[in-house]
Amino acid sequence: MLKIENLHAEIDGKEILKGLSLEVNAGEIHAIMGPNGAGKSTLGYVLGGRPGYEVTAGSITFNGEDLLEKEPHERAAAGVFLGFQYPVEIPGVSNVQFLRESLNAQRTSRGEKPLSGAEFLKLARAQADALGLQQDMLKRPVNVGFSGGEKKRNEMVQMGIIDPAFAILDETDSGLDIDALRIVGDGINRIMRKPTKAVLLITHYQRLLDYVQPDRVHVLADGRITRSGGPELAHELERQGYAEVAA
Amino acid sequence: MTLDLPSTREEAWRWADLGGIAAAAALTPITRPDAQFLDLPGAKLLFVDGVLDDAASDLHRVCVGDLTPGAHALGKRATRGWSLHLDAQAVAHPVQVVHVATGGDNHVAAEIVLDTDTSAQVVETFVGAGWSNRNTRIRLGKAARLMRAVRMTQGAGFVTLRDEAELGEGASLIGTMLAAGDQGVRIDAAITLAGEGGYAEYGGALLTRDRLKQECAVRVRHAEPNGQSHQLWRAVAADQSQASLAAAVEVARHAQKTDGEQSLRGLLLHRTATVNLKPELEIFADDVKCAHGATVGELDARALFYMASRGIPAPRAKALLTKAFVADALDRIADETVRAAFAADADAWLESAL
Repeated sequence: MLKIENLHAEIDGKEILKGLSLEVNAGEIHAIMGPNGAGKSTLGYVLGGRPGYEVTAGSITFNGEDLLEKEPHERAAAGVFLGFQYPVEIPGVSNVQFLRESLNAQRTSRGEKPLSGAEFLKLARAQADALGLQQDMLKRPVNVGFSGGEKKRNEMVQMGIIDPAFAILDETDSGLDIDALRIVGDGINRIMRKPTKAVLLITHYQRLLDYVQPDRVHVLADGRITRSGGPELAHELERQGYAEVAA
Repeated sequence: MTLDLPSTREEAWRWADLGGIAAAAALTPITRPDAQFLDLPGAKLLFVDGVLDDAASDLHRVCVGDLTPGAHALGKRATRGWSLHLDAQAVAHPVQVVHVATGGDNHVAAEIVLDTDTSAQVVETFVGAGWSNRNTRIRLGKAARLMRAVRMTQGAGFVTLRDEAELGEGASLIGTMLAAGDQGVRIDAAITLAGEGGYAEYGGALLTRDRLKQECAVRVRHAEPNGQSHQLWRAVAADQSQASLAAAVEVARHAQKTDGEQSLRGLLLHRTATVNLKPELEIFADDVKCAHGATVGELDARALFYMASRGIPAPRAKALLTKAFVADALDRIADETVRAAFAADADAWLESAL
């Protein structure tokens, strides 16, 4: 589904990713773990197409298509979802409007019929309920005045509504208490654990992986994947630390 | 033509586009554009190049005739126009005025006088091309309420407004201006809260592009205690245009317990555009609350990427963010039909400018 080969990327002339290769197949959940500054978030942003993140070498193909050729909104329409570590506040734009615009823009670009207001609301309410996000938060401006945990739940509500084929979740577990962690973990499994879908979980800690079992775990250090393994690698990292394992 | 206007060396005129006004007055005639009234009951006045089109108008309580021009440099040119006088406790249907310009200059005066406990709503729309100059005098009696909304959507030229308002005890004026066309604009206003406990909201949104210049120069004077005023202005400037917001609050020595607010915000859609902000406070009373804020910035790049990552194309994302920026100013319009029409004009402008 996703194939990254020898990816080099830089921000403001500083190279962050230094030859990263990774392949994720449909039906798989991969975890990317690594110390601060290893390039985890950069990988997420490069996949999402954030301006300022320049790819200097290598390739990313998604379902056989060149992902780097696409604009960020085209990547979304192609099925790529980026869950933000720090979801952005958008004053003056309601959550409902934002999500309906998002979904319908994607649907339109795929040649599907846009959802009506009523159809959309039904879908949004169901997803908000499933993730324990209060209904009135759908009407509030996007992420404005939300707590850290609410912002992350809101990311999952968005993922549930958009129903992407591939999700990159950047530190979705940060800022969550234990209960919220379980709800978010259940959400990821419910929405994304399907034979036709795949997930790249970017995380610092093992704890989210207690709820979302990864098929593969990779260690990202200094811009490259330095080790890959099964779920047991995450436990090893937790016990021994990145310095030991990544070296 | 000679304009005979103050020079831009005078502080109140420093951002005025005098050349733009002269150029607008010299615009060659265009075919008369279509003008639509909103679906509201009440009076409908159609002025074409400053002259009432009788056949297309329905005056209700409104009169048309000569008015005292006053002394203002712009306003004094308008000697004829419409007036609405409401006696105590009268209720009026809305008054709609559509101003169509087909080139050259045109001048219309207006007078709105509301007696004790009356309420009125006035909606004005500008379309066409040329210099449209208006002089509006407003006098509100005790507890009278006026809601006035003006949208400037000319395809070319200039609109200048001179508003002079005097509010009696407990009177309320809510004025909302929207410039969402391709014309230069000067909104020049002097509002006096002459009775105790007056309430004035006067603000709006200026949307400007190309090389146009739009500005407001508004002064609210609290002459008596317990008054409240809010001046909320939003400016969006694209291309090489310039938007200027100058808003002053003056609180007289005995106008205690005044609550004045100024919120001036500018948004630059391109780095070649200019937004000037000048909040001004002159406070002579000692027990007052005057909040003021003035900021200029660009669209939030993080928000744009966040929206793109959810599938919203960049022009639409920019339009949504800009709309949200402008919404504050237009939300003040109480009538839903009017608010929707103004929002649609702003949307259409934003979609085409981005």
